[in-house]
Amino acid sequence: MTLDVAIFFISAIVAVFGATMMITVRNPVASVLYLLVSFAAQAVLFIQLGALFLGVVLIIVYVGAILVLFLFVVMLLNLRGGEDLGQPSRPMSRFSKYLIGALLLVELVFVIRGSAGGTDQTVTGMMGPVVETFGSVQDVGMLLFTTYLYPFELTGVLLLVAIVGAVVIAKRETEREAAQKKQLVEERGHSSEEKVS
Amino acid sequence: MEVQLPEVSLRMMAPELFLFVWALVVITFDVVTKRAQGESVGYLTMVGIAITGGILAITGEGPGFGNMFYNDPMAIFFKIIFLGAAFMAVGSSFGLTKQKIVNHRGEFFGLMLLSTVGMMFLASANELLTIWIGLELTTIPLFVLAAFFKDNKLSVESGLKYFIVGAFSSAVMVYGLSFLYGLTGTTDLLQMKLNLATVHLTFRNIGVILIAAITMLIAGIGFKLGLPPFHQWVPDVYEGAPTPVAAFLSIGSKAAGLAAFAKIFVNGLSAFHGVEMAPNDWGKLAGIVAIAALILGNTVAIRQTNIKRMLGYSSIAQAGYIMIGMVAQSALGLSAVAFYIFAYMFANMGAFAVVTAFEDKTGSCEIKSYAGLAKTSPMLSICMTIFLLSLAGIPPLAGFLAKYFVFAAAIKQASLEGGQWLYWVVGAGLITAVFSLYYYANVIKQMYFSKDDSPYRVGLQAPAMLVVLIGLAGVLVFGLYPEPVLRFAGEVPSMFGFVSP
Repeated sequence: MTLDVAIFFISAIVAVFGATMMITVRNPVASVLYLLVSFAAQAVLFIQLGALFLGVVLIIVYVGAILVLFLFVVMLLNLRGGEDLGQPSRPMSRFSKYLIGALLLVELVFVIRGSAGGTDQTVTGMMGPVVETFGSVQDVGMLLFTTYLYPFELTGVLLLVAIVGAVVIAKRETEREAAQKKQLVEERGHSSEEKVS
Repeated sequence: MEVQLPEVSLRMMAPELFLFVWALVVITFDVVTKRAQGESVGYLTMVGIAITGGILAITGEGPGFGNMFYNDPMAIFFKIIFLGAAFMAVGSSFGLTKQKIVNHRGEFFGLMLLSTVGMMFLASANELLTIWIGLELTTIPLFVLAAFFKDNKLSVESGLKYFIVGAFSSAVMVYGLSFLYGLTGTTDLLQMKLNLATVHLTFRNIGVILIAAITMLIAGIGFKLGLPPFHQWVPDVYEGAPTPVAAFLSIGSKAAGLAAFAKIFVNGLSAFHGVEMAPNDWGKLAGIVAIAALILGNTVAIRQTNIKRMLGYSSIAQAGYIMIGMVAQSALGLSAVAFYIFAYMFANMGAFAVVTAFEDKTGSCEIKSYAGLAKTSPMLSICMTIFLLSLAGIPPLAGFLAKYFVFAAAIKQASLEGGQWLYWVVGAGLITAVFSLYYYANVIKQMYFSKDDSPYRVGLQAPAMLVVLIGLAGVLVFGLYPEPVLRFAGEVPSMFGFVSP
């Protein structure tokens, strides 16, 4: 067994272990930490495949920024396991979850079997040859700012929309606005606001 | 390293860019005027949509960014529908912004415009990535809009439910798209079509990955369209969301999902439709989903007592009818789909405008409270009756022609070899259409055949009046004289490479 294969198996097992623990532990903080472990292992897998930039971005953006933010939110909410997380789901919804999980597993097995020796191996020829600089920062940058410039700019619009939406949802009413609203309700006096409560 | 950009033509994107800037203007205007302006924000929004429509009319056809953005007849047709739906939704929300939404009026209208921008980008997309981003841009503002009454439990529940379902379905869809990319090595739909056909012709078998991709994509888009078994969110979201938002959701986001479906399946996977393609045949899977939507939507709607929930289930059924045209997989079918959404827009937005006006006045969405409305508000009742009859598909209204064309397209395909299964889909559509008449007529019965007079007299504000008149005109005019729309709808499939019939 070469070192390459050994590294692959170790990081793959760690990634799956982290993901499994993440959904099984009841403590939210531990859950986030397990996700972090899983991401770190996935980054190793990406780097092994030659997608250097993707691996590094996974570490910097997800592990470094987003998950830390998650951790802050979870700590601020001060959730503990048990009653804070609500009741365990009913048998019916649990059954449907297991069913979907089983279906995905079956699908995964088929896809792997297919690509390991069946007709699907020929299909991978469609992907085109891998260039020498594959996965480098330069290559990814070039693609992002030429061929895929338009979708890239569109995601900027998407982020703007998300920011506006988040502000609308999260912002508390100022006192003036609350007073304005109260006044409106009193003017109307009936019905439409009663239903609201 | 040399830098090569695809052919960029901002002129082709002018309507989208203008509407995007206008959305920001609307939001800024509301902030600058210290949120004191009640109606002017709404009027500003309506003017913006009207100008965008004008720009769209003079833009013409052509590529905007290589093949990723292409203005074909289909894109233009769908953009007209999106702009129309947004215009009518904005027009019917004036009462709401006066009474319930005191702050964030600018954001309310701005987010509606931004969602429309997303739909328009989607309509022009010819590539998997842009289709997906367009769909996200469509739905993310709608999550916020559905939860806009922050102190109302139902509205917050509706927003949260829509968000979770929406995020989940996007994940499923992107998983499916990644399979397609893995199979073909391209995100461009035309190239994908070619590559898949080459593989299929060479090896006669693509294997399970394509089945997985098709299933995931039908599930992902099925969530957006509210097709069973992914429909549970529809009635809850419609009930809790502000009524004009529910209306916008039922047309705008549905039409966007259908455009994505048409692009990915009817165009991109066109080779995988028909008997010899089993088990990679997406048509039968979509057909089963359509039958389920028709049966479930039309039967469960009968039992609803809340008119918004009723219209929610009715929208599930309508999506089923539209899917009949999709699974026909022909130029005729796609034109029928386009015409159907067009006709459905007028009737549904009109009906929702009346429901909104009634709710603003009475605070009730129960079908019972419509009792005797014909005696106190006769004009409004007549309008509502016409809208509901068009939704049910009664001649000579536009809704009848829409259903007729969809069925005709499917029957024509069914008469060809190997299309016999389409008769089942058409049969389900015809039988359930009878059911649908029952629950639409129930509202009419309440309005006209009640012993007591209604305690309410419901009037319409000027913008809502405009919306109802547009809806009325659309339903009546295009029911009696559909030729111009039909001619345009006939051009919709021109880029799809169907052999002309």
